[in-house]
Amino acid sequence: MTDAAATLSSRATLRRALGLRTVVTTSTGLAFAALEYLAAAGLVVYVAGDSAWIPIIVAGGLALVAYGFFGELNGMFPTAAAIRLYMKRAMDDRVALTITFTYLTTIILVIASDAFIVGRALAHAFGEPAWVASIWIVGLLAIAVVTNLRGITVAGLLQDAATSVVIVATLVVGILALVRSGHGLHTPLQPLHGHHPGDFLQAVALGVFLYSAFEWVTTSAEEVRKPRSINRGMLIAIAILCVVCAVATVAMSHTLSHHELTSAYPQLYLGIAALGHSGLWVMAAVTAVTALNTFNGGFITASRFIYGTAREGSLPRQLAQLNARAVPWVPVVVLGGLSAVVALLVALTHAWEVLVAVGAALEGMIYAVAGFCALRLRSREPDLPRPFRVRGLGVLGPVGIGLFGLLAVLASVSVQDKFDPAPLVIILVAGALSAFYVLRILPGIREREAARQAARPRRRPGR
Amino acid sequence: MASTEELLEAYAEWRTRSNANPRLTKMVRGWDRVIHFTTIDTGQAFTMRIEGQQLSELAVGHEGQPDVVVTGISEDFCDMFWGDLNPSEKYMSGEITLLGSQQDVMRIDAISMVAFLDS
Repeated sequence: MTDAAATLSSRATLRRALGLRTVVTTSTGLAFAALEYLAAAGLVVYVAGDSAWIPIIVAGGLALVAYGFFGELNGMFPTAAAIRLYMKRAMDDRVALTITFTYLTTIILVIASDAFIVGRALAHAFGEPAWVASIWIVGLLAIAVVTNLRGITVAGLLQDAATSVVIVATLVVGILALVRSGHGLHTPLQPLHGHHPGDFLQAVALGVFLYSAFEWVTTSAEEVRKPRSINRGMLIAIAILCVVCAVATVAMSHTLSHHELTSAYPQLYLGIAALGHSGLWVMAAVTAVTALNTFNGGFITASRFIYGTAREGSLPRQLAQLNARAVPWVPVVVLGGLSAVVALLVALTHAWEVLVAVGAALEGMIYAVAGFCALRLRSREPDLPRPFRVRGLGVLGPVGIGLFGLLAVLASVSVQDKFDPAPLVIILVAGALSAFYVLRILPGIREREAARQAARPRRRPGR
Repeated sequence: MASTEELLEAYAEWRTRSNANPRLTKMVRGWDRVIHFTTIDTGQAFTMRIEGQQLSELAVGHEGQPDVVVTGISEDFCDMFWGDLNPSEKYMSGEITLLGSQQDVMRIDAISMVAFLDS
């Protein structure tokens, strides 16, 4: 039996393995955070009338390009540690680590923004003053940290149900809001009417963000019954996200005022437009459910990655400490703390659009990096088995890298439809801190670890 | 390449240390699992069970339906069982591969880490 055949046979006999349905809901659920609603509302200002569906379709096409990159890389490295494996094989490890640590910022931002959005939405729904949202934020994150520390995770079936509820409810509310508006769409085919072409690119950059994190499901590669489920699942998730986001965004542009679109809870107004006051509660509940997926997926993905990197010796050993339930408690607490600080800062400054822009720019960056890795590994490791091979990568790779790079730059200097370098500054600071750690602190950590290991007596006899 | 006897001897040492480690026995409370090991260089197969907070003896061959499948080269398994090798380094470099749920994989790593760090 070949190694590949043996692996397939092993997967087939695993007692617990994920099927395609759970892969689809995981991929969709990770992408469909509460921040999705704010990004969708933010996208509307860049295009004319009800034509927001066009940049979302274009962004869906780009997400397919990213899917190709991640599909090929995941096929080569079907493991939760894939990002470390393909990046350090494609580039200098110091550069790879700097990019990886900067990208981890996205996960903190998404967790923080979800806590903020859910907190604000619940405070609004209960008719409480805005400052009460801070209590919700801290409470939600505390619950997320405690459940993670106790090793409680959302089971596959519950995750399937939660994602289905969010997707179906958003779709139905969007369609109802459009139908109940009682008037036709405004300029649905002229996105550039009264707008600059650069605005359209900004809309596409935000559109790409609507699909972002669909690729995080690749960290489940070790759990699936069939390896190809990961790629199929990502593809189906992109299609679902495309339809739901297009409907929800057009419904928002069609029924909400500028004030409602720029609020911290446009989805609640969309609910009211569709179902009256009860729609507010429906969308408040849906927003809370999105947090279930984000907190579950975000905390687990990030904390396990930090743990693995610490175990490998690229982060301080303290981050690899496990509690009695085998949970890396230091990364979980640090993630929770940082997310709370960011969320409270956003609550104080009302700068959630900046978070959206930072997230969009970082996603563009990581998609460009994935394209670079896929392309580079074609020449560096041509003989590595590629169960999924992107056709025309020689052309698609450079084009994808260029486009994602351009969208990342555009997203990083624009907030709403105005020039604002704040997202770029945040990314540069995060990147500089990562580079400082990798270049100045990490060598010392590695030296001490090497000395510690060298001092350990070998236990194996005769060695 | 490590022989079956070498691997069984190394595992026996690992098992003794693990079962005597109170932190580890607490960590695997209520976590009864079947783990298959496969060596890609020698084609050996082993089964380890965790039942009642204790690691079983290593059985030669694959027995039962696994919760986790660990694949690697025999020398690495031998060094890992002796506590001379940090398996995470091998995992992060792709030399040891795992199949199973993230929670199960974390526990396996926890067992190997306790063996590695506490030795």
